[in-house]
Amino acid sequence: MINTILRIALVSMSLIACATAVARPVSYAGGWTLIETSNRASSAGLLHYTMNYNLSVGARYEWQRGSDTRVTAIQPTFLAKRWFGRDYQANLYFSGGIGTAERKIGGIESSETVKFVGVMADWETRSLFVSYEGRRMNLGQLGNQTMQAARLGWAPYEGDTGALHTWLMLEVDHRKHMDERTSVTPLLRFFKGPALLEVGYNLSDPSPLFNFTYRF
Amino acid sequence: MNKTVPLFIAAALATSAFADDDKQEMKHNGDGQMNHAHGAKHDHGANHEHESHEHHAMAHDHGDMAMIAATITHTNEISAALANGGAPVVVDVLGVVCDFCATAMNKVFSKRDEVAAIYVDLDKKTLNLVINDGSDLSDKQIEKLAKQAGYRIAAIRRDNEAMGG
Repeated sequence: MINTILRIALVSMSLIACATAVARPVSYAGGWTLIETSNRASSAGLLHYTMNYNLSVGARYEWQRGSDTRVTAIQPTFLAKRWFGRDYQANLYFSGGIGTAERKIGGIESSETVKFVGVMADWETRSLFVSYEGRRMNLGQLGNQTMQAARLGWAPYEGDTGALHTWLMLEVDHRKHMDERTSVTPLLRFFKGPALLEVGYNLSDPSPLFNFTYRF
Repeated sequence: MNKTVPLFIAAALATSAFADDDKQEMKHNGDGQMNHAHGAKHDHGANHEHESHEHHAMAHDHGDMAMIAATITHTNEISAALANGGAPVVVDVLGVVCDFCATAMNKVFSKRDEVAAIYVDLDKKTLNLVINDGSDLSDKQIEKLAKQAGYRIAAIRRDNEAMGG
């Protein structure tokens, strides 16, 4: 029942907001963040609440299109370290999750406990961005998945506070469970106030990328 | 159980969030003053005399890299709050690189009744505050609020120093 409510809520928000992003998985204390991602492998929604400057807890729904697997999970994310500089910021995050994965096999709905762990690291200035993300997901009898993604980004101008910020980015991802294991996606990131939108197209495994993040 | 789960928990517990970077650490001493080393170095320019200059409740370590102390950024809201008798505060913030940083600090600081106006200047990397006439927001409180927002402060300037006077 709770899973169903959670799923309806997250899918509804996904439809409203269109898609997701991987920016700043921990916000300010007391803040809510909606993160949606849609890439060649899956569409996912994460709604999280930041309990403290270094910990957020959220509800995640993920639809893996290739296998038609639906994952519903609780996801804590821990900011392990933030490096501060006058002109840069770097972060190291660990995340995990536990929930259920559902998939139809031979016309019969199969449900398994899903567990995953992830690591994210980024370094950015106002005009340069580098990030890495990795995740290992265990779907019980439905198999295991490992993904890694790295990004490079460059902002052609430094936007003022509240102005539209634009980034040109290149993402390379590797997914062992997919036919096209490694792929490249050029994308545009738009940033304004509490909202972030990313639009790209995967060149190796032709498919759109559409990410959205909103903080409130 | 996935073998990676305990690994994650161990890694998460073993790693301390906000581990201090010694070069940018801000410390409080017994009387509430703050000392900071290297994080924000101040330029001793023509209108800034080292011996006579008094940093508000702060002692600075002056390193090789110089930085001109930024003064308050005037927006309509800031100017209006100053005209109403508010007190200016300029906070040098480390790690301010995007609008999410500004949003976080806006959300956290604007909840405080003492704050009449706020503006995060990404160019100067400063948090600009105007404190309501008759109210006070101590350095320690500002530091704590910045930490809640996910950031660290390097220096705080008030009143004439914040105005560049």
